[in-house]
Amino acid sequence: RPHSRPWHPGARTMFLLLLPLLAMAHGLDELPHKPKPSMASSTLGGLTTSSTFTLEQPRCIFTDLQDDVVIWLVVAVPEAVRNFNNSVRPGSPERQFQKFPTSALAYMTLNTTLLNYPCPKPPGEITVLRVGSETSCAEDNTRPTCNGPLPGPGPYQVKFLALMDSDPVAETAWSDPITLRTARQLSSIPATGSGRSAGMIALTSILSILFAVLLAVLVAMLVFCGSNACGGSGSFSKPEAVTVRRYNTHHVYDQPAARL
Amino acid sequence: MAKSGDGIRILQGLLVFGNVVIGMCGIALTAECIFFVSDPHGLYPLLEATENDDIYAAAWIGIFVGFALFALSILGIVGVIKSNRTLLLVYIILMLTTYAFEMASCITAATQRDFLTPNLFLKQMLERYNKSDTDNNNDKWMAEGVTKTWDELMLQKHCCGVRGPSDWQEYTSAFRSRHKDADFPWPHNCCVMDAQGSPVNLDGCKLGVPGYYNSNGCYDAISGPMNTQAWGVAWFGFAILCWTFCVLLGTMFYWSRIEY
Repeated sequence: RPHSRPWHPGARTMFLLLLPLLAMAHGLDELPHKPKPSMASSTLGGLTTSSTFTLEQPRCIFTDLQDDVVIWLVVAVPEAVRNFNNSVRPGSPERQFQKFPTSALAYMTLNTTLLNYPCPKPPGEITVLRVGSETSCAEDNTRPTCNGPLPGPGPYQVKFLALMDSDPVAETAWSDPITLRTARQLSSIPATGSGRSAGMIALTSILSILFAVLLAVLVAMLVFCGSNACGGSGSFSKPEAVTVRRYNTHHVYDQPAARL
Repeated sequence: MAKSGDGIRILQGLLVFGNVVIGMCGIALTAECIFFVSDPHGLYPLLEATENDDIYAAAWIGIFVGFALFALSILGIVGVIKSNRTLLLVYIILMLTTYAFEMASCITAATQRDFLTPNLFLKQMLERYNKSDTDNNNDKWMAEGVTKTWDELMLQKHCCGVRGPSDWQEYTSAFRSRHKDADFPWPHNCCVMDAQGSPVNLDGCKLGVPGYYNSNGCYDAISGPMNTQAWGVAWFGFAILCWTFCVLLGTMFYWSRIEY
């Protein structure tokens, strides 16, 4: 019997999973990790448009925090996810919406206290966050935490960060990359194919044949029967106009009974 | 002569009956085409903007052909009863002319129906709805007609776009170049409206919450009336022409049997 037992396969997988986590947790060791943000239900028609997307609100996620903690939404390009520094204040030039994504690789917006995300979620209510809905402050440099329309189709990654007096106290994991819709050029719509339906072809051909037959019969009629009646014994004369007058026997008039 | 006399009487009766039916059908055709030309569904501007409104030309021809058929049927009845060769020849020639016109109308209506595909209306809607930078007066006129028609269509039939609201997201359009995607994922007329004509819930409409916006497309509301019109003109005309063919053949036979 060997001295060392081979590892249980499950244990080995767990160890392999822990290794990268330990490496990543180097910079975030004191923050408890929460589940990643999810997109809203796909029954919404406007779930993703070309400059907005909609997330589920982080209800029942930050359960062990005080009510006056402020929850921020962080929107970043995937390159900024690896070395993301939670301590950079929202609204600073590194996190300014108007400079995203050129000189600021992430921005923070949609800040609200935990009171606005009560748990449990009331059934039947739609609790979503529409990212990109504020168009009025999109160019306003005095509003660096504007929830402005996203500048391109992405992809983007988001997470929620809980700050207490500008110190991070909790965060969620980063979401999966979110890609927005890209509109195709309308000139790409195929030129309307002029498909000929079977009904149209049948109608055209039948009518043309009938018309041709009529013309042919007309010509034949005029050529053969133009000057005299055709058919011999089958022909007939115009009906005669018959006038009958009453005879008055007392007065004899010389009137013909019928005009021939 | 009695036997052929009976035969001629029967033929006369049949021709008179045939002409009566033609007269009534002529009136019906006129009435039907007047109904179509009056555009009860208000869809004519859409056809006008395709620069190919032949269905309406076919309906106009139908109106005059109907009158002509009615008048000629009376002439035919008189000619058959009087057995007048000249009258009947005039009748036959004029009927053939009317036949040719009606044939053109039927074929045009049937061909045009094949031209009206969803992609045609989609392209037209995206190009002209809410178009602001128009090249000339004609362009401006067509854009205004299309915009007004679509606004009313979306309001009254509770629909959006040709296939659905996603049309506005999938393709670029004149509307998109005028209104930002974050404010107007689709036109506001796609929202469910209250009695005063404003959206019941504008945010719900922008999000695409079922119940606050019209999620079905308008193509059925457009193609239904146009199909009815095209088939009404084309196939009713075809039926009349088939009947007229038989009556004309009978009349030509009758004409050839009359003695001078």
